[in-house]
Amino acid sequence: MVVLRAGLCPGLTEDMIQLLRANGIRTVVDFVSSDLEDVAQKCSLSYKALVAVRRVLLAQFSAFPANGADLYEELKSSTAILPTGSPSLDQLLDSGLYTGEVTELMGVPGTGKTQVCLAIAASVSLGLKQHVVFLDSTGGFTASRLYQMLRAQTEDEEEQAILGRLRLCFVPQLEALQRIQVVRVFSIYELLSALQELRDRLSQQVVSSMGPLKMVVLDSVSAVIYPLLGGRQSEGLALMMQLSRELKTLAREFSLAVVVTNQVTRDSSTGPLKPALGRSWSFVPSTRVLLEGKGATWQKGTTQRVASLAKSPRQPTGIQVELDIG
Amino acid sequence: MQREVGTLPLAPALRARLAAAGFQTAQELLDTGPCGLSKEIGISREEALEALQVVRQECHGDAARMAGGSGATRRCTALELLEEEQTQGFIITFCSALDNILGGGVQLTKITEICGAPGVGKTQLCMQLAVDVQIPECFGGVAGEAVFIDTEGSFMVDRVVDIASACVQHCHLIAEAQQEEDHRKALETFSLENILSHIYYFRCRDYVELLAQVYLLPEFLSEHSKVRLVVIDGIAFPFRHDFEDLSLRTRLLNGLAQQLIIIANDHKSAVVLTNQMTTRIGQSQSTLVPALGESWGHAATVRLILHWDNSQRLATLYKSPSQKESTIAYHITSHGFRDVQPPAVTHSAEGTEMNPRKRPRTEQEKQ
Repeated sequence: MVVLRAGLCPGLTEDMIQLLRANGIRTVVDFVSSDLEDVAQKCSLSYKALVAVRRVLLAQFSAFPANGADLYEELKSSTAILPTGSPSLDQLLDSGLYTGEVTELMGVPGTGKTQVCLAIAASVSLGLKQHVVFLDSTGGFTASRLYQMLRAQTEDEEEQAILGRLRLCFVPQLEALQRIQVVRVFSIYELLSALQELRDRLSQQVVSSMGPLKMVVLDSVSAVIYPLLGGRQSEGLALMMQLSRELKTLAREFSLAVVVTNQVTRDSSTGPLKPALGRSWSFVPSTRVLLEGKGATWQKGTTQRVASLAKSPRQPTGIQVELDIG
Repeated sequence: MQREVGTLPLAPALRARLAAAGFQTAQELLDTGPCGLSKEIGISREEALEALQVVRQECHGDAARMAGGSGATRRCTALELLEEEQTQGFIITFCSALDNILGGGVQLTKITEICGAPGVGKTQLCMQLAVDVQIPECFGGVAGEAVFIDTEGSFMVDRVVDIASACVQHCHLIAEAQQEEDHRKALETFSLENILSHIYYFRCRDYVELLAQVYLLPEFLSEHSKVRLVVIDGIAFPFRHDFEDLSLRTRLLNGLAQQLIIIANDHKSAVVLTNQMTTRIGQSQSTLVPALGESWGHAATVRLILHWDNSQRLATLYKSPSQKESTIAYHITSHGFRDVQPPAVTHSAEGTEMNPRKRPRTEQEKQ
């Protein structure tokens, strides 16, 4: 719904706009959907000029249909599959995280969502040497744990021992740490402006500190949206949808894999677990993975987790794998 | 700067009017100017001016960030964070087993939640931490001040005096043993009166006062920049009874959690909360779980659950971003929070008492 302004397209002059406005046509949608003969008579403007303007506006503002074969070719060349560093998780996600899509991890507190996010970031940064942006909204990002994971992931132990004597051993891990950029966003507006800034930087291709970016991790989305949802105000839903639009545009336009973590809630104190943020949010991620601990209560401590697939465009749901987040 | 109007922090009614008038990006708003804006959407010139100021601030903030300065955003690489974390101190608890499972003590810039049944020692631990945060740096502390927000009225000054005197005595012993100059200098300022005068105490009687206090805390902290610990003793108490609208409760709690995270991050202090326990009745058994529901569980970064095992007090680290889940035992003495002191001979026997899940291997060996 763009307001008609002079200079929006070549034939549109200020006087034309004043005349149109006097007749109640203020936005592009109003103009394009009105009967041009009628408008030409009422505003005493030339019909040909109006038709020309309409053609240009349609060309500028409408979406173009694309053919399925072209879309497939484009997808084949631009989609990448990022391995997560854990073979069982890769198996669950059909060989890894797909770029251009939003993947969601959900679970009760303490099941290891942040740990899995850190592990994925470590694997992409160390193994694939790609940049990662980590948006932290809960304060749970611990760089020392990330460093520990990076050290554990370096495969060749002999090499490590030899290089250790030459004090060169930690350089790949430190480089990997430099490729992970952490942004702390604690409210929805900060998050939206951080995403906007990321989009601007990517579209202007500022190469300075941002190398090839392949993944954006948001931990967690429910922490910033929960304070706004509910009650009689619908503003929370509107902001949530704005956020989902930003995430999906980022994923698709710049071929990034977006990983989001979410909470789970219960309907009543004994009901089954369901993902938080409601039905509107459930359409945003294309893949959803639920993490659960193997023992049900906090009295038994264990590092074993069970990940089950709750929503996926490629695999049957209900598959479960076991993960060790130790 | 193609920032969409829907993402700007304006009042919802104003946003709705802007969307209805057809404005899409922030640039269009800035181009129109205050007079044009007030005519288009039918608001007064002052309101239009205010709205444009907000928009301009947001867009300038974006531009400054794009130019490379980190300024207001908290953006940095993981490597820089690692260096920061390695130089950060911890607040010790005087119970070395607890410090070990926490990874050195209570971490700064994170929210730690202590849950437990009544009488297990949550307020004792909070008071211990309020004293320990003031330990000078040469003795291994962070030399900070403490803010204590009390909702249950369980803060006993006499007890804090006991804990503080024991702490000062402990530091004196260390100083005598090591005989270093900075130790002696630090001890001159580390006295009982000093410790008590650096604990800022607030009493909140209901949830409105608590919320107001937390939202006013950033101003207080910018005046008292040495504060390194904020304790809220009893976050469950004002929210658990008399709350008819549960969705309002969830929203308020989540807003509170975000505000506490902002405080912890911006002022480099640790935030410690205490929570109560409630019973969840399952199909065949009932278990004790922390109160305030599932969504609150995500608010704290580190969760510590204190519980009883016959007559032994145990602490379990339930949720932590960098440490494994484990359980240890502790004691509360007249000096405060301390380790359980197992005598060397019967160490293995006590080990089995503390951890009933393990097979009693040593007992079999004895037999």
